[in-house]
Amino acid sequence: MTLAPTSLRSLALVLAFAVAGLMTLLEASAFLAAAGIDPLEAFHNMYVAALGSKFAIGTSLAKTVPRLLCALGIALAIRGGLWNIGAEGQIYLGAAGAAGAAMFTPDITGIHGPVVGLIAGFLVGALWGAIPGALRAYRGINEVITSLLLVYVAIQIVNYLVEGPWLVPNSTFPATAVLPPGDRLSRIWPGTLLNSGFLIALAMTLVAHVLLYKTEFGLWIRSIGGNERASHVMGLPVGFMLVAVMALSGGFAGLAGAIEVLGTRGRLVEGFSPGYGFEAIAIALLGRLHPFGIACAALIFGALDAGSGGLQVSSAGMSSAISPIVEGLAVINLLASLRLIEISLKHYDARKALVDRQRSDRPPTLKEA
Amino acid sequence: MIDTNAIVLLFTATIALASPLLFAALGELISERAGILNINLEAMMLGGAFCGVWAASATTSLFAGFVGAGLAGVIIAAVHGVLCIVLRAEQVVSGVALNVLFNQTAATYIAFLLVPLVWWGINRTVAGLALQATGEQPAAAISMGINVRLSRWIALLTCGALAGIGGGQLTLAGLGTFTPNVTAGRGFIALAAVVFGRWTPSGAMVAILLFTLIESLQVRAQILGIKLPYQVLVMAPYLATIIALALFMKRMKAPRGLGINV
Repeated sequence: MTLAPTSLRSLALVLAFAVAGLMTLLEASAFLAAAGIDPLEAFHNMYVAALGSKFAIGTSLAKTVPRLLCALGIALAIRGGLWNIGAEGQIYLGAAGAAGAAMFTPDITGIHGPVVGLIAGFLVGALWGAIPGALRAYRGINEVITSLLLVYVAIQIVNYLVEGPWLVPNSTFPATAVLPPGDRLSRIWPGTLLNSGFLIALAMTLVAHVLLYKTEFGLWIRSIGGNERASHVMGLPVGFMLVAVMALSGGFAGLAGAIEVLGTRGRLVEGFSPGYGFEAIAIALLGRLHPFGIACAALIFGALDAGSGGLQVSSAGMSSAISPIVEGLAVINLLASLRLIEISLKHYDARKALVDRQRSDRPPTLKEA
Repeated sequence: MIDTNAIVLLFTATIALASPLLFAALGELISERAGILNINLEAMMLGGAFCGVWAASATTSLFAGFVGAGLAGVIIAAVHGVLCIVLRAEQVVSGVALNVLFNQTAATYIAFLLVPLVWWGINRTVAGLALQATGEQPAAAISMGINVRLSRWIALLTCGALAGIGGGQLTLAGLGTFTPNVTAGRGFIALAAVVFGRWTPSGAMVAILLFTLIESLQVRAQILGIKLPYQVLVMAPYLATIIALALFMKRMKAPRGLGINV
């Protein structure tokens, strides 16, 4: 904790974000220039594709959804002291759960159709997330490695399903049949691709916030993330909580997968996620692990993804690379600038302590000396 | 009747597949023993895989290719080092961010020769013992007059070089070209091997050989016509690693200063 007044602290925080943003823009320009692309023209194309029209804004919002949900889940896990690096696998299995529920449960028309799929997606994602949680809680195995290895297993399971038993006949690519409209999420903004999954994502942002800051469960999560040993000594069921938090985290990612199947795509397609689960780690960190901050970060990267679609016209191949590059740069820049600010605040503290002591004219305490 | 030829082929494939992983795992082992965790091992391998091919084709020299691959890994390690050692940023965060960014050859024999060499270096040299002190009890190491930051820098850059070479080997010795995501999670497998091998070079080697044995079985099984969906075979090495970790890992004896910045 610093002695600096709150106003100075928030100013420093804003400054850190501004510096990081500016650095990212400069580095991205240099990168584009090195690849032989005029950065100004590229940024203009990106702006048009991300925010230039109603349709573009709808696309940006739609592309925010899976990123936001996964990042919320990852942030919950990190708050509980766990690194869920396996959201990508949880998305895939959540999507498979939703598609399976939509295809094989009795046909219920109306709103109940997608609800069954969404719940199935959440549960399957939660189950997959609980595995590394349980291995960590009861076998002491680092969840970073297990959650990540499970990604490769999950993707192969989905590949097997869509290439094998669930493959729709006469398809030119591995996918299930298009789900009946009653099982799918409806469009909510005419003239755009935005579906009701966006509203679910917004609701889950609120849920995550309330859960984390307004409930006992959230207090426990933050307590364990702060100090696992102390929480154990205080009598919290640490083992159970580690599993529960990872399951919850996986559930959020599973829900993202379900929305991709029930809303965006209307079916389960092989390789549908271009790495949302990995991107979401960066988004959770950029949002400083706070649900509303994460929503802002996810919006930025949803727009960036939509915008990189505008690059495709001028330079094929570039478009898919630009978004992860900017993200990686943004996180590294923010990480560095936040640390620099923290270090300078410490210097401020030291100086302030010195000045205060000189003013008070008393001998320094042992700590100050 | 056992087809000896098939078994020889199986073990040849196992060893060939193991050496890129072994380079990366030994590098990571050195770095972790000094207390620096590299979630970005995959990025180092990928960087090495790319720059290796690039350098080799630019110079038409295989050796230059490996040098380029090693340098690429060193550069990624340097960025990680600035964030973790200089700025003391969270090691997992930095690693994740860097990841978002990015026939038998002589190298195979070198990878296996490195196993006893790394063991000797860590356990039987002054520098190696300083490295262990750095990783176990950074504060105590400082009070003993060990330059903890320097020690960590050396370990981290060594890791970058080795992981880069491992990645370079994938493209230079194996495929000859760079394709996106050519490493396919091998950096993470190497990370798991360090844990599974309990932070010892021979343990890491055994873990990697187990992984690549299953991986080469997968290739053979397809030829031998074993009736399993190929996806099951592709996921088998990953699944086996998780199951092995779950079954045989008791409490992990990670270096106590791992991930803790000084």
